[in-house]
Amino acid sequence: MLWLKNVHLVDPGQGISDKASLLIKDGKVAKLCRGEKQLTEEEVLMTLGVSELKDVKQVDGEGKFLFPGLVDAHVHFREPGQEDKEDINSGSRAAVRGGFTSVLAMANTQPVIDTRALVEFVRLQGERAGLARVYPVAAVTKGFQGRELTEMVDLQKGGAVAFSDDGLGIQSAETMRLALEYAKLTGCPLISHCEDTSLAGQGVMRKGEASARLGLKGIPASAESVMVARDALLAGETGGKIHIAHVSTKESVWVIRAAKKLGIDISAEVNPHHLLLTDEDVQLTNSSYKVNPPLPSREDQEVLLEGLLDGTLDMLATDHAPHTWEEKMRPFAEAPFGINGLETALAALWQELVLKDKIKPEKLIELWSLNPAKRFALQGGTLKAGSPADMVLFDPEWQERVTAESLESKAQNTPFLEKELQGFPIMVWVGGKLVMKNRKIVEKQ
Amino acid sequence: MRWRHKDLLDLDNLSAQEIELVLQSALSMKEVLFRPIKKLPTLRGKSIALMFYENSTRTRTSFETAGKILGADVTNFSVAQSSVNKGESLLDTAKTLQAMNIDLVIIRHACSGASEFLAKQLKAGVINGGDGQHAHPTQALLDFFTMKDRWGEFKGKKVLIVGDILHSRVARSNALGLKKLGAEVVLIGPPTLLPPEMGYLGVRTSFDLDSELPGADAVMALRLQMERQQSGLFPSLREYNRLYGLTRERIARTGKDTIVLHPGPLNRGVEISSDLADSVQSVIEEQVTNGVAVRMALIYLLIGGTSNVMA
Repeated sequence: MLWLKNVHLVDPGQGISDKASLLIKDGKVAKLCRGEKQLTEEEVLMTLGVSELKDVKQVDGEGKFLFPGLVDAHVHFREPGQEDKEDINSGSRAAVRGGFTSVLAMANTQPVIDTRALVEFVRLQGERAGLARVYPVAAVTKGFQGRELTEMVDLQKGGAVAFSDDGLGIQSAETMRLALEYAKLTGCPLISHCEDTSLAGQGVMRKGEASARLGLKGIPASAESVMVARDALLAGETGGKIHIAHVSTKESVWVIRAAKKLGIDISAEVNPHHLLLTDEDVQLTNSSYKVNPPLPSREDQEVLLEGLLDGTLDMLATDHAPHTWEEKMRPFAEAPFGINGLETALAALWQELVLKDKIKPEKLIELWSLNPAKRFALQGGTLKAGSPADMVLFDPEWQERVTAESLESKAQNTPFLEKELQGFPIMVWVGGKLVMKNRKIVEKQ
Repeated sequence: MRWRHKDLLDLDNLSAQEIELVLQSALSMKEVLFRPIKKLPTLRGKSIALMFYENSTRTRTSFETAGKILGADVTNFSVAQSSVNKGESLLDTAKTLQAMNIDLVIIRHACSGASEFLAKQLKAGVINGGDGQHAHPTQALLDFFTMKDRWGEFKGKKVLIVGDILHSRVARSNALGLKKLGAEVVLIGPPTLLPPEMGYLGVRTSFDLDSELPGADAVMALRLQMERQQSGLFPSLREYNRLYGLTRERIARTGKDTIVLHPGPLNRGVEISSDLADSVQSVIEEQVTNGVAVRMALIYLLIGGTSNVMA
């Protein structure tokens, strides 16, 4: 039983951005009251079915925002197989600390998630962690070999909500075409990691003047965009459902915009680091700037934001990619790709985009909660009466220095390490259960 | 002027005056090279470690000779050619060097930024002996020394750098430094090896060697890696040689007493013809001699006097 008062509720699913009070019962939103009007004690007692107010936990959210829990369509939790980088428990802790109540865990673990037993393992580990809702993404092809399709129907029954060989692009166009056809049996979107390996070659950052200056091998923008174009056309031809992961080039945005005009069932995500950093920020001795797809040019970045604002691009996603300190302490060219995102992404975007008036809080939440929940047919994404009480109480004034010690993730590979950020979640509930309070995980009793 | 750097990693942070200081110091070092007894007590008791993660005979030997003439103890660390999943990490190697109290580390590594990485970890000075495609400052400085030796000054001089610009740390460091010194630089190569982003250097680029030859005071050929052909970057040695190979006939078209440079090792008959390499216009052997002098100067500036003691 929870009575949340005086919050500023941002819930694009109901078109609400207003003062509100909410009552939570049995893990769900029991009543929502918007505007200046306050709930009376009687209304509270009646709605919650209790006789005394002392049985109701009350939280006064004056000056705070309440968001439906964020849904992150792209995380790497590394379990099974690479638990030195992260595991489902530590990843879930990082998720809720960052305001994410649902995550889609990618399949590029060791072994890759290509059988029902493995899908169920990931789901079960998520339940054991008991924090965020962990939805498994299963592989498109067995062993990520890019040839034979996985048993998508069985995988879906085991809990998979999407299919992806993320980490690798599916190089064979015919394999992709067949996968788009076959996945229709499940209704789940295929998430495409668009990377033509012949173009990407041995590159380690975006090809351009910055890569030339640093003497690092460049990845041309076309390595991504030619495959986005291919997959958009294949989705159009097959009538399949495609979601483009981590869009990072302006050409990809143009292609997706055109595909949507043609009525192709395509959606796309953008990673916060691609909106906040460019190839000019890359430092030779800090491999936290090494990420795939690589940090874009300034021009690409402007078009990405434009695409988010005009609806061409549907959602934000962190592509949370933890790596060990030892791996990231290698020279730039030899370090693995990836940025640790869950605990800094919301704050970083809040500080750099919302506070600078480049994006409205309502749009931010639409992109990070409502849209991904809808696209992947997940519960959550809104707080209308009857919805699960996945909620984030967000303090726009909260300032925090990001340090290795403060992170719940096992890894520290974030470009925001040792930087001060503003705007953090201070309380997070999943299904009505309080899982994070005052920036700390609520430990199981 | 005093030397104020702990390391020499690239030419980005060196002013024209500092480059001139290195060249000036190298001049007196070169005199030592021609003495009957080539040994100075200057750096007695100082230790230098050479860490060459990439194959190199001339650069390594040049540094080794330079250190020994100055009286330092020079140690060759045998390191794995590639550090990924092989042997010790660069970080652990750095810690080992630190523990041994080495005064100066000279590193060559296939990864851009490896020398900077080491420099950040170490109290000792670090000289970059070439990192990936990023920088090769000592090669550039010895090239400048060689040019200055002939010209006296850089203003108004035209230098062509010809070949695989994209993959060349020598071209990058030379272009950066020559620009600072006031020379005109033109980078020349086929479009596949001279992509538009090389424009970051702020010097002119051209695909046409022949049209740039008139008026050139120096032409530098870069070594062509044969495996670039397999990667499709140029179709054949034959066509490469026809378009970009330096010959006596071509050099004659500069209309000047042009000098020809090459960082070595040479692919005779590919980027440079044999007769040109052995002609009076070629300063390739002088480059080698000057390399020792310039490296002596750098080692001295970094760990020699008291003027460079870091806080």
